[in-house]
Amino acid sequence: MIPRERCDYSAIIDRPSLKLPNGARLVVWTIVNLEFWSISRAMARQVLPAPTGEVLVPDVPNWSWHEYGMRVGVWRFFDLFARLGIRPTLSINARVCREYRRVARAAREAGWEFMGHAWEQMPIHKVDDQAEMIARSLDTLARFARTRPVGWLGPGLTETYETPDLLAAAGVKYIGDWVYDDEPTEIRTTYGPLITLPYSVELNDIPMMLVQHHESAYFTQRCIDSFERLYREGAERAKIMAIAIHPYISGQPHRIKYLEAVYEHFSRYEGVLHWNGVEILDWYLSARAEP
Amino acid sequence: MPRTVLTPPAGGAPMPDIPNWAWHEYGNRVGLWRMLDVLDHFQIRAVLAINGSAITRYEPIARAAHDRGWEFIGHGFTQQSMQKVADERDDIRRTASAIAAFTGRPPRGWLCPGLTETWETPDLLVEEGFDYVCDWVLDDRPVWLKTRTGPIVNLPYTQECNDVAMMLIQHHKASEYYDRAIDQFDQLYADSAQSARIMALVVHPYIMGAPHRLRYFRDALARIREHSNVLFWTGEEILDWFLTQ
Repeated sequence: MIPRERCDYSAIIDRPSLKLPNGARLVVWTIVNLEFWSISRAMARQVLPAPTGEVLVPDVPNWSWHEYGMRVGVWRFFDLFARLGIRPTLSINARVCREYRRVARAAREAGWEFMGHAWEQMPIHKVDDQAEMIARSLDTLARFARTRPVGWLGPGLTETYETPDLLAAAGVKYIGDWVYDDEPTEIRTTYGPLITLPYSVELNDIPMMLVQHHESAYFTQRCIDSFERLYREGAERAKIMAIAIHPYISGQPHRIKYLEAVYEHFSRYEGVLHWNGVEILDWYLSARAEP
Repeated sequence: MPRTVLTPPAGGAPMPDIPNWAWHEYGNRVGLWRMLDVLDHFQIRAVLAINGSAITRYEPIARAAHDRGWEFIGHGFTQQSMQKVADERDDIRRTASAIAAFTGRPPRGWLCPGLTETWETPDLLVEEGFDYVCDWVLDDRPVWLKTRTGPIVNLPYTQECNDVAMMLIQHHKASEYYDRAIDQFDQLYADSAQSARIMALVVHPYIMGAPHRLRYFRDALARIREHSNVLFWTGEEILDWFLTQ
């Protein structure tokens, strides 16, 4: 199915308002992404392209830059979220459970929600047997986390035309790739409906820092600008604001303070819920059924 | 996709391109409606540069614009370079028909998708009954263009005070929209002491309609609105005034 066949266009103003519990205005959905970058291929992202733009294999500088996130950066995230009492959704390439066991274990012990994020970091279009990769990824996470993930995010949010069907067949209940709304929606698949949750490509350190090349301080400004608008709109209808981060980016010493400042800002407001994907999904399924 | 916010890991341009399609779709589902709040607040009727195929596909948007008396101008039948369109005249015609069918009258103005004209575009536009085009961002005033038949007016659209250029290509912070609009305004206002000037502001719902950007659009309009001798006109209002000069 092409995307338009999975979900009809709908203007947000034409939908009934959804209500959060206890008059809350806004849900903040924090997603930490952990990835495995194979040294034998081109790197998923680069901070330093080679002189004259040659493709390098091995790409030591960019591989090392990503590796920093696993060795050093991610621990800043664990500290921050433990202090805040927030358990983010963990969008994790399943191979991380083997190659960075120590990190995956810390997330499990901290009670973070494991969400499927394919096997390793590459576009899903390049995977030979997508159904097998999905099964292998979810099985690996299920064994490691001791609970089967219900959510999925494609690497780089990539999907083929069949991906939603394959995910629904594999028992996935929500996906984050369809960044087209402030609310959850339902899309059609050949195996029944699938829920989309509003992940973000705006409040996301890859587009912001690696594509748009913003200064580190701008992360706080953009999150606050977004929050202020959505919090105001949240008086009328439930709003969900995702923040998507990667340890090799926002875990850098010059960026972590700007991430901390974002949550500090939120803490000054009433009616802000910090939920993971499962909590948002469960709320949505009951909220939309209310008369 | 015509524009992207997120390239795939290690590059490429896969199809389908879900993240970039969805990012754009956000504008039609959510972003446009908060922009309407701003324009309604200031009682500004905008020009809607709309792909011909978008009118029925996003009927609530077309209806909201039409109900507010916005001016519809043609903007290609689909979003692609006019240089890649097989039959440009047919594309222009189908777009004009789609607009006429919905609003009750054909469009007077045209803006190419990405401003991508062919050698013939102005000629075709005159032959197809258009009164103005916007692709020639070469002045602060309307300009006459010759065609193989009669002339056509070009109105000063902008690639400077334009959120695609600013946010997607130059990667500026959202506040740059405000800063640049005010810098532009202040200069054109000074320039206009002896002779009128036109200033365009261009927005796309998936860009300035994002929650973290809207206020900078709103603040720019608020600041400009403080001047009593500034008019907020649609394209045809500018054209009809220019024709009397």
